[in-house]
Amino acid sequence: MKKKFLIILFYLVAVSNYAQPDNLSIQLDYATNLYNNNQFFDAITEYKRLIFFDLSKKSHFKAYFQIGKCYKAGAKLDDAIKYFALAEMNSNTDDERLKSKIEIVRCNILRKTTTRAHQLLDGLESSAFSKEIRDSIYYWRGWTYMFEDKWQSASDSFAKINPYHELKILCDRVEKDKVSVTFATVISYILPGAGQIYTGNYLSGLLSLGWNIVSAYLTIKSFNADRVFDGFAILTLLWQRFYRGNIQNAEQFALEKNIGIANNTLIYLQNQFKGIKP
Amino acid sequence: MKGFLINNKFLFCIYFLFLLPIVLYSQNYIDQQNLFSPESRLKFGSYLYSEEDYLRASVEFREYLKYVDNDTVRFKFATCFYKIGRFQEAADNFKGLFTSRNLQQESKLAYYKSVFFQKNYSLFRISFNNEFHIPWDYKDEIKRLYYISFFFDNSVLPDTNNFFSSFPDSNKSVIKQFYFRKKFPEYKNPTTAALLSGLIPGLGKIYVGEITDGFTSLLVTGVLTFLAIDNFKHNHNFRGWLFAGLGAYFYGGNIYGSAAAAQIFNAGVKFNFDSDVRLYFEKRNYLLPEIKL
Repeated sequence: MKKKFLIILFYLVAVSNYAQPDNLSIQLDYATNLYNNNQFFDAITEYKRLIFFDLSKKSHFKAYFQIGKCYKAGAKLDDAIKYFALAEMNSNTDDERLKSKIEIVRCNILRKTTTRAHQLLDGLESSAFSKEIRDSIYYWRGWTYMFEDKWQSASDSFAKINPYHELKILCDRVEKDKVSVTFATVISYILPGAGQIYTGNYLSGLLSLGWNIVSAYLTIKSFNADRVFDGFAILTLLWQRFYRGNIQNAEQFALEKNIGIANNTLIYLQNQFKGIKP
Repeated sequence: MKGFLINNKFLFCIYFLFLLPIVLYSQNYIDQQNLFSPESRLKFGSYLYSEEDYLRASVEFREYLKYVDNDTVRFKFATCFYKIGRFQEAADNFKGLFTSRNLQQESKLAYYKSVFFQKNYSLFRISFNNEFHIPWDYKDEIKRLYYISFFFDNSVLPDTNNFFSSFPDSNKSVIKQFYFRKKFPEYKNPTTAALLSGLIPGLGKIYVGEITDGFTSLLVTGVLTFLAIDNFKHNHNFRGWLFAGLGAYFYGGNIYGSAAAAQIFNAGVKFNFDSDVRLYFEKRNYLLPEIKL
């Protein structure tokens, strides 16, 4: 009886020792703790150590994924993509694979390789069966379009998730606020300065109109007084310069205004938007 | 026999109760090894080194070297700094291996390489001329590096005989070209360019090689001068002065522009030479041997 008792006691002690958290779990927690404290360089080192010593490859997905996140946090997007791809290769479930792919898409959006982001989303879309995954794809496609400055397409993509989606409304507003570059140029051909006034640059528009009137007056006056050379000189050196400058200026102002609107929206998204961002 | 079976039953029990868990948890035994022991750090550091993650490898090697003194690891540790461009630290660490039994020559070569790539050419030349720890096995390589260093700063080029004889025949013709491009650069004189443009507007620019700009300057200054004279002749004094002012402005600008164009041309000559030399030697690893441990 005594012998049996001793054997059971030894057995329990032995098994309980093995049941202690192993070094690899401790290492994973240690690395994750570093990541949570924004010590990304050290976190990467510790995740790499974990990968090196984990012969069973049990924690490889998690470690590679976290390394990708560290690089992403440090804006090293090429490295981040490399490690998310490794995470995908070491994934054990469809969910892990999808998670890695979406992260790669998000990095591509951030580094503005939007064509690649679209390619990846196309690949995901062809095999997406659940509504949740499809919505996720529409969401990130919308973000891709926003980074491509295609606000109407972005709006259409967000509308597929919800016709009243917050980002759809935002994209519609951007599209409405933007000015037409072609229209600004064309009206500047017809009436110098009109394009600038259309884009909200009233002083520049009036100055442009004034310069064109003065140089036209001087040109016509010279031709009327039979000073043909003077007329040609003023026409080419003065009037043509101001007329051409007015058209280029109108186009430039329209482009700048549109960039400003898009940038302000992206700044808003970066700083104030509460939803998931790339 | 009965006693033997009883004893065997006892042994089987011991096996199943104690040894089987050990087998099952053998992975845990691997896990239980200390990931931060010197041996583990060396293994992990070597892995990072082979993956070219030199900064992290250097940290692991440093920790390992706190417990174990190993020349190969110290050499790798110094190489990590060399690879990430921290040449001063690399040189300091290679210096510490000058007395090493196995890696003496390699560390001396690596020291000279570190000083060279640190662009501390004066120290490099002083060390070489004073035969400071010259690695005799690699004397030719160091000598070549010594001569290459003259392409990268403004020091006076050494005599051609010694210079060219240090390089292998396959490289000699290119080295000669570099030597003469360095010694007699095709610079344009900014003063000459300015004087020429003062004499005939645009001529300085043509001298520098900007022919279209030169003719444009001549045309614009000429037209404005003609307009000024023509207007003064017809008593249009205001327009006369306007064109005269514009003409003077363009004339002055043409002189200044010619001098500036000569300076830009000279900067281009120097830049092209530097990039050609750098590209040529980088492609050939500065004619240095690759040391593998």
